[in-house]
Amino acid sequence: MDYTTKELIAAFIARDLHDGENIVVGANLPVPRAGVLLAHLHHGPNMTIGLSATQTSLLKEPVLQPFKYNRDFRAARWAESYMLHHETFDSPKLISDVFFVGGIQIDRFGNSNLIGVGRDYRRLRFRGPGAIGTTTMTVYTKRYYLYLNSHDPRVLVERCDFVTAFGWGAGGADARTRLGLPGGGPKYCITPLCVFDFEEEDKRMRLKSVHPGVTVEQVLARTGFKPVVPAKVGETEPPTAEEIAILRQRVDVEGVLRS
Amino acid sequence: MTLERRSRIVDEVEAATRVKDGMCLSIGGHIMSSHAMALVRRIIRQGTRNLTVVGAASAGLEVDLLIGAGCVRKVVAPYVGAEALAPIGPFYKAAAERGEIETWECDEGMYYTALRAAALRLPFLPTLAGLGTSLPEVNPDLKVFADPLTGRPLVAVPPLQPDVALIHAAYADPYGNVQFVGSGMGDRAHHRAATVTIVTVERVVPNEEIRRNPIATALWNVDMVVRAPYGSHPFQSPGFYLHDEAHLEEYLAAARAAVGGDRGLFDKYLERYIFGPANHAEYLQTVGFPRILSLHEV
Repeated sequence: MDYTTKELIAAFIARDLHDGENIVVGANLPVPRAGVLLAHLHHGPNMTIGLSATQTSLLKEPVLQPFKYNRDFRAARWAESYMLHHETFDSPKLISDVFFVGGIQIDRFGNSNLIGVGRDYRRLRFRGPGAIGTTTMTVYTKRYYLYLNSHDPRVLVERCDFVTAFGWGAGGADARTRLGLPGGGPKYCITPLCVFDFEEEDKRMRLKSVHPGVTVEQVLARTGFKPVVPAKVGETEPPTAEEIAILRQRVDVEGVLRS
Repeated sequence: MTLERRSRIVDEVEAATRVKDGMCLSIGGHIMSSHAMALVRRIIRQGTRNLTVVGAASAGLEVDLLIGAGCVRKVVAPYVGAEALAPIGPFYKAAAERGEIETWECDEGMYYTALRAAALRLPFLPTLAGLGTSLPEVNPDLKVFADPLTGRPLVAVPPLQPDVALIHAAYADPYGNVQFVGSGMGDRAHHRAATVTIVTVERVVPNEEIRRNPIATALWNVDMVVRAPYGSHPFQSPGFYLHDEAHLEEYLAAARAAVGGDRGLFDKYLERYIFGPANHAEYLQTVGFPRILSLHEV
């Protein structure tokens, strides 16, 4: 079975999402979007999907037409309810159970930065897009996934210049409860080369699996900090024929994940 | 004496004059959707300066355009950009890096907390969001404090009160009852926090039509209603038209060149679409009906 790295990651994400979960899907992260929709169609008939400021079920839709922008109203045609954006943060019930967080920097404890790069906030070398909803969402969601489109030592850094979403702070399994943050924190950091999880006690990033064809050495050479490397690192499990069929025939008919 | 209910309909030219130098201005919608552009263009045309712009929770290129046109002193927005088309607004990025604008750093949750504090006339509202992050450092208006009941840390978010809120919606009657197609995103929060709310609508409808479905009335008692069909162009308006991607690309090319030092294209953009047309109708004429009518949803 041939598959692309993006399809592999979508399948990895899908397997970690459970039936009954309430999950919002953005537009600008096509791989996590595909992962969520794959989980929904593959094993999540009772999932609620947040899409273009609506909540819905897409189970009976033969093909999920792609849409390009977050609030594309064409994607609101399935709405069972509307998401009033200003109320989204009023209750964890209105917030997604899980969330995907990108970063222009992510550090070894899973803290992430969307503000910018530089020492002086008033004179950033690179101004980032801004925190969007990540600061609040990551306080509350049951768990979240750090997701990167590129695996680069300038992105995976020892320490972020700024932090917009608190992961595991300076480390320690109690880092979040000490601050009184109710959410479960980052579970995995997913990149085009590998998946990291977090060591149970000190919450340092740990290499969980490398994608087929990638070596541990390649990962370490492209990572700006020293992750925990277990004696034996497995491979990320490839998608099944059934997962690929759902992805290609219903979720990603335009082939964004194959490009 | 016969009592008459007063119509709140004004045209976009008059409505925009309510926005004055140095004011705090909020603009509703969400990234590629539902911005009161007929008013944004007028504000640029009338030369308003030193605005504090509260963009939508996720703001689009309308904020970028105001920065490029020199109207902005300070930006409050958890995001300014156009998603895949431009991950970050070119003028916003350059002006922030060069220290030409002030930025009030927050995320969407904190942003709505600040609007709610304004609506409630509170000095602050507490949140868990921002604990352990850089936000209280880079935004000194946010303060970490100890909860008086438990002693645990919380972040105090001060009020954000727009002097004027600009909102774009589907329908309103002449008396300021406003209905959206779709959710209305975060626009209710803007109206509740602002001193004055001005709403541009695709269609002004008779009061009877509002009464047919009152649960759809999302905002009432807004101060001004502006008739502005296609008033969100080049952004989409749910139920009416999609964003104009070609126009946004034209804008982005001009903005990127301007940021790189060559303002020629951007000056032409401003002249063609903002300073040239005398009003919204002439703007639509400039864009042209073939283009406007091609932006259908289905």
